[in-house]
Amino acid sequence: MIKVAQISKSYQRKLVLDDVSLEVPKGQIFGLLGPNGAGKTTLIRMLNLMLFPDIGQVYFDGQLLQASHLQQIGYLPEERGLYKNMEVRAHLLFLARLRGLTKSAASNNVDHWLQHFEIQDWHNKRIATLSKGMAQKVQFIAALVHQPQLLILDEPLSGFDPLNVELIMNEIKALKAQGTTIILSTHNMKSVDEICDHAALLHQGKLLAQDSILNLRQTHAKGQIFVRFKGNMLSFANALWTDFTLLSQHERADSLFECTLQIRGEHTVNDLMRSLQDHVAVEHIERMLPSMQEVFVDLITQKENQDV
Amino acid sequence: MSKFLLLTLREIQERLGQKGFWYMLILGPIVVLLILVALLKAADQGKQELKVLLADPGQIMDHRLMAQEEKNIHYYFIDDYLELTEFEKAKAYQDFDVLVELNEKVLNNKKCFVFYRDQLGLDARMQLKFQVEKRMEELIAAQHSTLTAEAFSQIKQGFIFDFRDLKDPKNESKEANAWAGFVLGAFILFFVGLYGMTIFRATVREKSNRIVEVLLASVRPEQLMLSKITGIGSVALLQLLGWAFLLGLGLLVLQQTLFLDVLDPSNWAQGTPGRLNPLSALVFEQLNLPFLLLHFILFFAASFLFYGSLFAVLGARSGADADGQQFLLPLIFLVSFGIFAGIYSIYFPNTTLAQVLTYLPFSAPVLAFITLAKGATVAAYTSILLSLLVLLASALLLLRLAGRWYKNSILKF
Repeated sequence: MIKVAQISKSYQRKLVLDDVSLEVPKGQIFGLLGPNGAGKTTLIRMLNLMLFPDIGQVYFDGQLLQASHLQQIGYLPEERGLYKNMEVRAHLLFLARLRGLTKSAASNNVDHWLQHFEIQDWHNKRIATLSKGMAQKVQFIAALVHQPQLLILDEPLSGFDPLNVELIMNEIKALKAQGTTIILSTHNMKSVDEICDHAALLHQGKLLAQDSILNLRQTHAKGQIFVRFKGNMLSFANALWTDFTLLSQHERADSLFECTLQIRGEHTVNDLMRSLQDHVAVEHIERMLPSMQEVFVDLITQKENQDV
Repeated sequence: MSKFLLLTLREIQERLGQKGFWYMLILGPIVVLLILVALLKAADQGKQELKVLLADPGQIMDHRLMAQEEKNIHYYFIDDYLELTEFEKAKAYQDFDVLVELNEKVLNNKKCFVFYRDQLGLDARMQLKFQVEKRMEELIAAQHSTLTAEAFSQIKQGFIFDFRDLKDPKNESKEANAWAGFVLGAFILFFVGLYGMTIFRATVREKSNRIVEVLLASVRPEQLMLSKITGIGSVALLQLLGWAFLLGLGLLVLQQTLFLDVLDPSNWAQGTPGRLNPLSALVFEQLNLPFLLLHFILFFAASFLFYGSLFAVLGARSGADADGQQFLLPLIFLVSFGIFAGIYSIYFPNTTLAQVLTYLPFSAPVLAFITLAKGATVAAYTSILLSLLVLLASALLLLRLAGRWYKNSILKF
């Protein structure tokens, strides 16, 4: 859907994006991650044609990104902004029409989304009278009112209460199910774990990693295994021998234990199962993958250690 | 509908939706008219219909003042001195409003005292003075010469040195018209300054509440800037035209009602000057209003584009490294410069500097209107059109430059 090819951008001799290339697959949720100042906002503004790279190109559906593509892009900026004196419906109509919808299409879409979010009663409320969360919802609708193929969401969950976070998360999943490609820029790693298919990590203007979430987590797996078994803890520990190290143990019920192990050497999960089969009854075993939070920290730490 | 039109209409709707706009539209002309009425009324305060007693012990006036009876001032004579307390309190004199004390040597010392019970209106004062003075001149002329009163009046009159420009020997430049043109030109700059500040504030607000980032995902920065200038400029023009219409209407109403007597020359005694008359005559008779209105719109539009882009850039710079607000004051000075240039041009219309100022975008609107109001010759009108073209070209050039500055600044938070 989106291809960013070797783009670089400087502001007053400060390099904010350095030879970044990435691809956002169609119909997927793509997490754009990175600490503050990594260059995410600059990249997002380039995808909205607010800024242009000094070097490199951005492609939309195989074509060089141009103004006509903006009608197929929805954007929710991190810093929300609406005209405070306008009424909710009038504001949404205005933004929908700016995105190229006809008057009737804009009207239909606005009414649909107001109903969908069950906020049709707010239609004639002035933005200034809305709470922060209410205004966030209006802004979220504004980003997708023109049914874009690509939706760019910069910190979409900030400012929402837990109930609304759930609502927005479900909405993002539903949009994906309808075929919308979504770029999600966030510091909320839990949401990345939960809904993203792919992710790219930017740090100090450079792309550190880009892959599917599963691959990223597997790549950064630390060789830890989770086991739940019934039996005797001593027998279990003896069975591990020197091939696996016991990291933690919890007795969940009478003779029911949950343990975390660290693989030593070249051993595998199969080796562990073979070692345990004559000693305890294994109920559940899985290779533990790091969360995206851990992947994120791992990648940044590695990079900083390299720089040092 | 194009995005530019959508943004422009939103700007217009926002301004028209504000009560302040309508208050300004209605109250502005009313305040101006009230000030005008107050000034004229203040000058006209006091009695207009007078009964005047002339105490003439020397019978110098010979019981006669004017050849014909006056409509609003009635003169009576006594051939003796009259004590002031008697005039003030005696029943016989209570009907008199004014006592004019003419001592026996009045023709030599040329001084007389006028005592009044209540304040006299300016018109009544002037009429009284004019008529007594006229009779005195008649008597002095008869006493000292064989001259007629008219001949004496001519001799008495001071010599007038009327300095005239060789290029305008008939003095057709009409200074009053020039000042009227100056007021129109100054109005343009005043409204440009006033609504330029609205552009500045609106840009700062859009930037600070971050709506600008949502808008720029749909439109180009230059488009956003131009739509703001156009939208706010249209509202400013609407208000200006509203003011012009309401002020014109107000003047007409005043002419037909409150100032009927003052404005009608037939209601004036011979030789007494009118006050609202010249203003009324200037506005409704001497100025070519449709012609001026057309040029007013053209010059306003070009000036607003010129200055509006600068106000927008300063708004966009606000909060950035070099805060735009610090440049706001110099910009206001620049707007004011046109007004001073206009005053200079009225007094020194044919200097090289005045010619240069005609083509300078900062002063062009005021100077063009001074020339237009005076009734421009073909050559002068050509220079006005040229100055309009220069102003428009400068505005377009500045818009391009401002578009770049705006683009580079608006997303810097």
